[in-house]
Amino acid sequence: WSHRRGSTEVFPYPEIGNEELEEINQLVAPVEKFFNEEVDSAKIDHEAKIPAETLNGLKELGLFGIMIPEEFGGLGLSNTMYARLAEIISLDGSIAVTLAAHQAIGLKGILIAGSEAQKQKYLPKLASGEHIAAFCLTEPGSGSDAASIQTRATLSEDRKHFLLNGTKIWISNGGFADIMTVFARTEVTVDGVKKDKISAFIVERAFGGITSGKPEDKLGIRGSNTCEVSFDNAPVPVENVLGEIGGGFKIAMNILNSGRFSMGSSSAGMIKKLIELTSEYAATRKQFNKSLSEFGMIQEKFAVMALNAFVMESMAYLTAGMMDRPGLADSSVEAAMVKVFSSEGGWICVSEALQVLGGLGYTKNYPYERYVRDCRILPIFEGTNEILRMYIALTGMQYAGKVLTAQIKEMKKGNIGLALGMMGKKLKSSFGVSVDLGLIGKDGVVHPSLAESAKKLEQNVSLFGSTVESLLYRFGKTIVDEQLILKRVADLVINLYAMTAVLSRASRSISIGLRNHDYEVLLANTFCAEAFFKNNYKMTQLQKHSPENNDANMKKIAKALLENRAYICSHPLERTY
Amino acid sequence: MTCPRCLLQLQTLGLLGRSAARCVGLLRTPSSGQPSEPQVLRHFHPSPGSAKSRSVPAEFDRESHKKRNKSLITHDDLFEQVAQEAKTKAMFNKVVDIFTKRDIRRRGHVEFIYAALRKMPEFGVERDLTVYNKLLDVFPKEVFVPRNFIQRMFNHYPRQQECAVQLLEQMENYGIMPNMTTKVLLVQIFGEKSHPMRKYQRIMYWFPKFKHINPFPIPQKLPEDPVDLARFCLNRIANDLDAKVTVYQMACTEVTESGEEVTLPYIVGIQSPSQMELLTKHNPSRPVFVEGPFPLWLRKKCVYYYILRADPPLPNEKVEEPYDPERCLDYPLQLDFDLGRDLGDDESFDVEDLDEGPVFAICMTNQGDEATLNQWISGLQQSNPVLGQVPTLFRLDAGPQELDMLADIKSCHNHRPESELLKEDWLPEEEPEVMGDEELRRSQRMK
Repeated sequence: WSHRRGSTEVFPYPEIGNEELEEINQLVAPVEKFFNEEVDSAKIDHEAKIPAETLNGLKELGLFGIMIPEEFGGLGLSNTMYARLAEIISLDGSIAVTLAAHQAIGLKGILIAGSEAQKQKYLPKLASGEHIAAFCLTEPGSGSDAASIQTRATLSEDRKHFLLNGTKIWISNGGFADIMTVFARTEVTVDGVKKDKISAFIVERAFGGITSGKPEDKLGIRGSNTCEVSFDNAPVPVENVLGEIGGGFKIAMNILNSGRFSMGSSSAGMIKKLIELTSEYAATRKQFNKSLSEFGMIQEKFAVMALNAFVMESMAYLTAGMMDRPGLADSSVEAAMVKVFSSEGGWICVSEALQVLGGLGYTKNYPYERYVRDCRILPIFEGTNEILRMYIALTGMQYAGKVLTAQIKEMKKGNIGLALGMMGKKLKSSFGVSVDLGLIGKDGVVHPSLAESAKKLEQNVSLFGSTVESLLYRFGKTIVDEQLILKRVADLVINLYAMTAVLSRASRSISIGLRNHDYEVLLANTFCAEAFFKNNYKMTQLQKHSPENNDANMKKIAKALLENRAYICSHPLERTY
Repeated sequence: MTCPRCLLQLQTLGLLGRSAARCVGLLRTPSSGQPSEPQVLRHFHPSPGSAKSRSVPAEFDRESHKKRNKSLITHDDLFEQVAQEAKTKAMFNKVVDIFTKRDIRRRGHVEFIYAALRKMPEFGVERDLTVYNKLLDVFPKEVFVPRNFIQRMFNHYPRQQECAVQLLEQMENYGIMPNMTTKVLLVQIFGEKSHPMRKYQRIMYWFPKFKHINPFPIPQKLPEDPVDLARFCLNRIANDLDAKVTVYQMACTEVTESGEEVTLPYIVGIQSPSQMELLTKHNPSRPVFVEGPFPLWLRKKCVYYYILRADPPLPNEKVEEPYDPERCLDYPLQLDFDLGRDLGDDESFDVEDLDEGPVFAICMTNQGDEATLNQWISGLQQSNPVLGQVPTLFRLDAGPQELDMLADIKSCHNHRPESELLKEDWLPEEEPEVMGDEELRRSQRMK
């Protein structure tokens, strides 16, 4: 990644034009008003249903077609603006999930891979909200394993229809969606060999043969409708195949990868709202003649919330800006990094906010417990964090592997000249020669007040590069099986990306003189210091035979426990005589 | 658990009580001679000269006949006389009580204890800690405790110490953990620094450490019912939490058309889901083998089991699944460059990792002949249909009960005359013989 993220992509921080900014602010105001006044989140949570008036209000605001081009009736906004609106929509988790399931994944397929005819046919109604979309991929036996998808689409005799048979579970909006993007197995002939490949179909409920199960009773996002959808010989016209027959895998990957970045801004929006509510309480409640906000531990909680919000915002808008920039490579890895960081950061912050309120936060009288329950789904859906860490780490390893293969092979062969060169480099670096990636100094892109943090970032990046090299040397292709190592690598990458985003944003803030830019510098420096320390620890854990690395022990513990499927220690009160 | 001091007080009281009763007894029976009727306590102290010619106490058995012979009786005989009736713990305790109450000086207690230790297995009390403590109680207290440094130096009362050590040794052999009573008794009898006390301390050091040392312990009481025993053994062999035990047939006797009684043996089998998967992946052109019987020892009991296995696939037959880049929706399952694992990190070699071929199922049955095992295979076929197409070969050893049959069937082989062979006494055949070739078992196996 040290190769991938060239300075020009990340610095300067992406900006949007003045007209766009005005447009956004105009859009944002009524949406905010709507959410503050007309959305009763407690009622939605209690009844596990979003009332029809609320849905109608959302449709009128145009929130059902934010990214659909204007020619089809949508708002035609860019990724950045979508992220901005997501900040407000996330005030109510159920509505956010319903809208996301509709547009971020449900109709994204038609947007990305649909033919003109399909777009003309479906997008207008979807944009106005008359039809609601859903995304049907997961099955009882198949989460990430595409090979175990059982739903089948067989060509009918008149070759005009596909007959769809199978069941999909946990489909958001599954109870009332009219248009669904369904993934099923089809038989394709590849080089004369018949194989089963996955294809994507646009299926309308009106085709018949589609039944929805009863809505699942969930812990959080209770207003969102999640249910099982079964297809029983549902006829799908051949024109409704998305992309080509057998090309469903790529479409699925593209859809999933493009919807993730908005989680950063939605978590940030939620945390900002929570900071407001919680600090109100902390400033007014008094114990021992001091208000809660004067106690160190409470202050630490607020600092954590502020840092998390800052970093999430920076990462989300950086990614959105990169995606909006024309002609750039796909930033699915960056989106995944945003998702992982935001989901975990969001969960921690929401928990801390509840903690500040103590017992009051635990009751249903206050919204904190609802936020906690709604946030628990964040690390789970849209790709579980474990899977995304593997994705981040392996994509990077793939790239690094390709670049470094020749070099590592040379090293393994024991070329003396190369070995001497490496030793020389190591000696130089151990004498403290600093790494210069061009971030600071005369032509540097980072503002001088952030020089310390930038130096830390540079050190981390160079050490990371050599760590990756040594990992590839040790494991080669088999690193796919070393999940604990890949987890650390992914965490490192996420931290590095976060540091970059934060530095970039803070530099811009100082340079153009945004309000409270010194506060941003403070946040940036604090975050970078923490992340620097954590990164160094992770990198020492990745060394060979490092004593900080507990992986072997963890695996041993887990193995013995899983063999017995129970905790195997004797009870502490047991006696032998 | 009584504290040592309390026990000490009880003992002294007991002694006093006994001495008091002795006086009473003496007053009551002025004549020193054989009592004619049963009495509660007989306190007759013969002179040392006639130590051996002591008559058996009359309270030996209140209801039944009394023994009055005055001949030389060893302590073994005491037990044997009782043994003719019931061999129970109560009887054993009774004999010990008789001995303790017969003589205040407990003459001959060492021989008595040795005899009792020998007789314990017959009476079935060898694993009973209370009985051992009772036996230890036979030693007179405080007599053998050394009182000065010379006594301490010179192995005070060596025979008694050796006897107690042998008692503790028998306890150790049977794996019985002594308790506080044992310790108190040993302290009262021999003192703190004696050999038996040392042995006790060693037992108490090691036994707690050894108690849970076996990761697969066998319970003392094995199930009686052969089907339950088979279930236990199969779970022990398979050692898989997912494995399922099926009883294909319970033991019963059937009357066939010709009026003969045929005893059908029980057939219990076990198979786990991973074994079922291995069987589905097995190449149908290669045979599977039914092999057995293999012995499994559970303490003193030997049971036999049969397995269904196949040879490991040949190296050139191993098919690796081709990499499917569209398998995982989220991350690449294989990376696309050409680097292998470094030698220092390569942990794939394990000396013990031998491929001996998959074992598909295990079964246990009374009667391990081809017909019974065929029934097992047909039962297995219901959950593993591939067995219908795979040729099954029976490679059975001569089992323990089959030596009689073998003599009839294989008269051409050189066998010893089997007539006097008992069922328990089986001589294993050295080379496994292919009893029968069942080629091409097709679905008509399904009964």
